[in-house]
Amino acid sequence: MSASADLTYDESGRVRFHDSCVTDANQPQFEEEWQRRAFGLAVALSEFGHYRWDEFQGGLIRAIGEWEATAGNTMSWEYYDHWVEALVRVVNDHGLLDDGYVGPRDREDDHEGR
Amino acid sequence: MTQQFDYPPDREADSAAKVRALEALLIEKGVITPTTVDKVLGYFESEMTPLNGKKIVARAWVDPAFAELLANDTPAAIAQLDLPQGMAGAEGEHIAAVINQPGVHNLVICTLCSCFPWPVLGLPPYWYKDPTFRARAAREPRTVLTELGVPLDDTTEVRVWDASGHSRWFVVPARPAGTEGWTEEQLAGLVTTESMIGVAIVPPPPIEAGTAR
Repeated sequence: MSASADLTYDESGRVRFHDSCVTDANQPQFEEEWQRRAFGLAVALSEFGHYRWDEFQGGLIRAIGEWEATAGNTMSWEYYDHWVEALVRVVNDHGLLDDGYVGPRDREDDHEGR
Repeated sequence: MTQQFDYPPDREADSAAKVRALEALLIEKGVITPTTVDKVLGYFESEMTPLNGKKIVARAWVDPAFAELLANDTPAAIAQLDLPQGMAGAEGEHIAAVINQPGVHNLVICTLCSCFPWPVLGLPPYWYKDPTFRARAAREPRTVLTELGVPLDDTTEVRVWDASGHSRWFVVPARPAGTEGWTEEQLAGLVTTESMIGVAIVPPPPIEAGTAR
């Protein structure tokens, strides 16, 4: 199911909001398992000290900003595509997959994630 | 239903494949273990839920001193409650409460990314992340609120709080009438996630008071 399958628009192009806005239906948070794993992976790597959360978040802001600057009205929106893009970026920037990468646990004796 | 926001299935498959490959590589390199992501997700899904926010709001409703501290130093106020560990962690330390009062309605949006106060509200509903919602709520909050069933009179000021990496706002909605003498637990049962984003009010309870969820 698409993330936005329930979005509908009125004649002026405005979004009609989803029922969960007003019903507290304990909203579907992830439409697909890969989105859930992308979320968990980004949080886990931050929690265990491989990068600071704001470093991931900065990448997400950039990814979404780039999309907004170029998308116009034609490109579709999928939040977790941007999330994955930011995740790949921050993992590369910090060299997590490089040979010889030293994790935070091995950098500081007294540090174990947090 | 619209096609505007639909996206080709291969794009989704592409992201899904990237995530799978990335997790597998990180496990292979020993950066994480095969259970790391599940453990973190399990913690989020069991502990960091809107229930935390509901308890905070209920306490603020019954304890004016707590409400004042909550407005002035949100993390210190939250620390007084018996909530799960990690509330003050990476995502919790910048949490800030804004309090609805007569004449003031607060609405939380995020114009760049979804900087949601997870520890108190759980994960955001997906419409919150939609760029159309974000743009319209920033530009015409009063109209958006009316569409969402929160009509405000002209004398009520709408304050729009733009979440960012530095502040993750949540709203303490107004306590509904007809709840005098209710316990915190009963009150917490009335609070909705949407009311803590500012896109809904907490309606007065039905006449059979005391049977709140």
